[in-house]
Amino acid sequence: MFKLDRKLILSASVFTAAALFVAGCAGGGLGFSNSNTAHAKPSIDGGVFYPVVNGKTGPYLVDRVAAPMKINHGRIPTENELKAWDTDVMPDGTGLPEGHGNASEGSDIYDAKCGSCHGDFGAGGAGYPSLAKGNAYSMMETLKSQRSEEGAEGPNRVFGVYWPQASTLWWYIKDAMPHQATGTLTEDEVYALTAYILKLNEIKIDGVLVDDDYELDREKFLKIVMPNKDGFEPKIDGPNSLPGVRAYYANPANYGAIKVKPSERCMKDCQKPTVKNVYVTNGGIKDFVPPMATAKDLPKVESKEFNAAKSYEENCAMCHANKSMGAPAIGDAKAWAAVNKKGMDAVYKNGIEGINGMPAKGGANLSDAEFKLIVDYIVNLSK
Amino acid sequence: MSNNDSLSNDKKLDRRDFFRKTAALSATALAGTSIFADDDAIMKTPEWATKWGDPVTTNLYGIPSAYEHNVTRRSTELLSSGNFRASIAVTPIHESKGIITPNGLFFSRSHGGTAHIDPEEYRLMIHGLVEKPIVLTLAQLKRYPSVTRIHFIECPANGGQEWRATQFNSVQFAKGFMASAEWTGVYIKTILDDLGIKPEAQWMLAEGGDSSKMGRTVPMDKVLDDAMIVWGQNGEALRPEQGYPVRLLLPGWEGNLCVKWLRRLEFAAEPWYCKEETSKYTALKPSGKAIQHFYANEVNSTVVSPSPEIPWTDLPDGAVVEIEGLAWSGMGTITGVDFSLDGGRTYVQAELKGLVLPKSWTRWSYMHTYKKGDKLLLTSRAMDDAGFIQPTIDEETSVMGVESVYHRNAVETWEVTENGEVNHVQIRS
Repeated sequence: MFKLDRKLILSASVFTAAALFVAGCAGGGLGFSNSNTAHAKPSIDGGVFYPVVNGKTGPYLVDRVAAPMKINHGRIPTENELKAWDTDVMPDGTGLPEGHGNASEGSDIYDAKCGSCHGDFGAGGAGYPSLAKGNAYSMMETLKSQRSEEGAEGPNRVFGVYWPQASTLWWYIKDAMPHQATGTLTEDEVYALTAYILKLNEIKIDGVLVDDDYELDREKFLKIVMPNKDGFEPKIDGPNSLPGVRAYYANPANYGAIKVKPSERCMKDCQKPTVKNVYVTNGGIKDFVPPMATAKDLPKVESKEFNAAKSYEENCAMCHANKSMGAPAIGDAKAWAAVNKKGMDAVYKNGIEGINGMPAKGGANLSDAEFKLIVDYIVNLSK
Repeated sequence: MSNNDSLSNDKKLDRRDFFRKTAALSATALAGTSIFADDDAIMKTPEWATKWGDPVTTNLYGIPSAYEHNVTRRSTELLSSGNFRASIAVTPIHESKGIITPNGLFFSRSHGGTAHIDPEEYRLMIHGLVEKPIVLTLAQLKRYPSVTRIHFIECPANGGQEWRATQFNSVQFAKGFMASAEWTGVYIKTILDDLGIKPEAQWMLAEGGDSSKMGRTVPMDKVLDDAMIVWGQNGEALRPEQGYPVRLLLPGWEGNLCVKWLRRLEFAAEPWYCKEETSKYTALKPSGKAIQHFYANEVNSTVVSPSPEIPWTDLPDGAVVEIEGLAWSGMGTITGVDFSLDGGRTYVQAELKGLVLPKSWTRWSYMHTYKKGDKLLLTSRAMDDAGFIQPTIDEETSVMGVESVYHRNAVETWEVTENGEVNHVQIRS
């Protein structure tokens, strides 16, 4: 009936909701349009909505027999199954479990499990994001910074300055950190780590600065108001937010887009006389993996043997290339002498099982034998 | 024959003379061996022309010719976050053909590495504000009536490294954060027919089952329009890099929203604020406000041939050559592409080729007679049926500034130098 010349697709209880989204389809889709390219209403994204007209949506035929049929595959999940997978945390606290932890505890967990990638005090590391850059409130001003000019500082988009909701952080740490072993932190550990990251960003909760001893729990967590809470558009909160989103994207000026009648587009003298070519400077970025090549030839035969040097670059160099990540650096004879003192069996074992901030085998997918070859490679280069 | 005709007219040669003369001409032509050396590719007999080839039982899942080994996805250190596990490998669009990308070349982005999911243990859970929550096995999911559609998927950071200036002298890296394929799956609205959606549901969470548990919030408008759960890509199962066995496909929208290794859909009245829709995939404007839930990839285009990778350095003077490109819009169907040889000062219409489909790559063409030594600035500008046209760089940055990272769709320009080399440039005032 409504909705794309199919039979009523949703149960009656759904009619009002569905009507909210597809209102105009029935009249629009079937009323106005005489061709397959006609569209009844704009889509929420500001683009075209293709209704089903004469059994087609855009250029595609719709299966008119299959579309209205009830299928009813699958089964209802159990309570435990829902609990196991429904682990998201929403801004209003839905899904946020009880628990507690302070920044001091968080600091210890951080040094053991996070610092090897995110750097000391959340400063960031090679290829891993920084978590704080000092006082978040005073950094807010940087969100208006534009590096249009040489030497200008860019906006600071770390957690404290940019993220609108703290729930995002808690949920993300719990489900997706540490990166090589996700889902391994307890709820209390996540509270402690969250407290530590709030502390690094100098966030206040209810007017109280989060310091080392600040004991974060669920109740206090729900009082966090992130500095940049109102920094985003369109608004998406509240029971009737979708019309606002639709309205936002209906106006191209909001997002730098341009609409023009084809007959009115510029075809001649379309540029200001001041335009100039901007070239890639200094060759640009070209450390491509693999290097750029277009020859149509036979590949060089690569040795099937395990290449420890190559595997080191792929799996270990991120942390072991230099001292900055806290791991003993390759070539640092002193650091490796201290490690090797334990005896090579212990060095292998520690690496295979993980030690300090290093996950098992550095998170790499290698056999024990292959991993030992890399250890030998590093040790040999560090004498 | 025109020369011979004029010869016979002017000199009134009789037939015998005529044949004698033309025979002499032919002899001269044969003597052309002194001008052109014999081509070894013709004169020597290669091994493949006389020896047995492989039995048909070799490579039972076919692989490309070994000679094509340089046609691969590529990454860079800049994009290597997470030891190449929260990273991207981009599509060699300078080698692209038509509007379909082979699955092995389809750009690949992950947030915790490529997961390898056992299809027997795959489950999809759909719950929240539905009348009946369900769990589906892969076999049960695939029993739904399937829908097949051709759509591109584009990372909204395609071109996002170049807001301030060009950084990549390469079309693979400047524009290859995208690819296009024929997808097979089921409309989510078909499954919701069974479940019944509660009236207060406004949003859907889509979450992956890989180690990153990547999640995104999707408005019901899209869910009830063309959102699909897909398991087929170009006639085969999804590749692991594309979320095997199942991913979400939101035609035309940010690639990041097309959650891979999909395991859970939940419906709610309020949005979720996932990590990849707050910390990233938000476009910061000069006002200090950022656009969130920036769904559709806007109308866009680029020249793909020639390219910095495959330039015109060996193109002879006077050669008639096809300049080819791609155009695409996540907001509709491409209606036309304008093409410029002078960097966008003057445009003419290019020809669209082949299938022109909604939210799909569309191929366009411009025939050009190459003059050796000419300096050219190749610029393309696409339009879609929603009425959008690509902005100039100045127009786009005047609204978005240079810090928004995502959704850059200003016109691209490729310089052809006097030697036929091709460089990525930007035309700015």
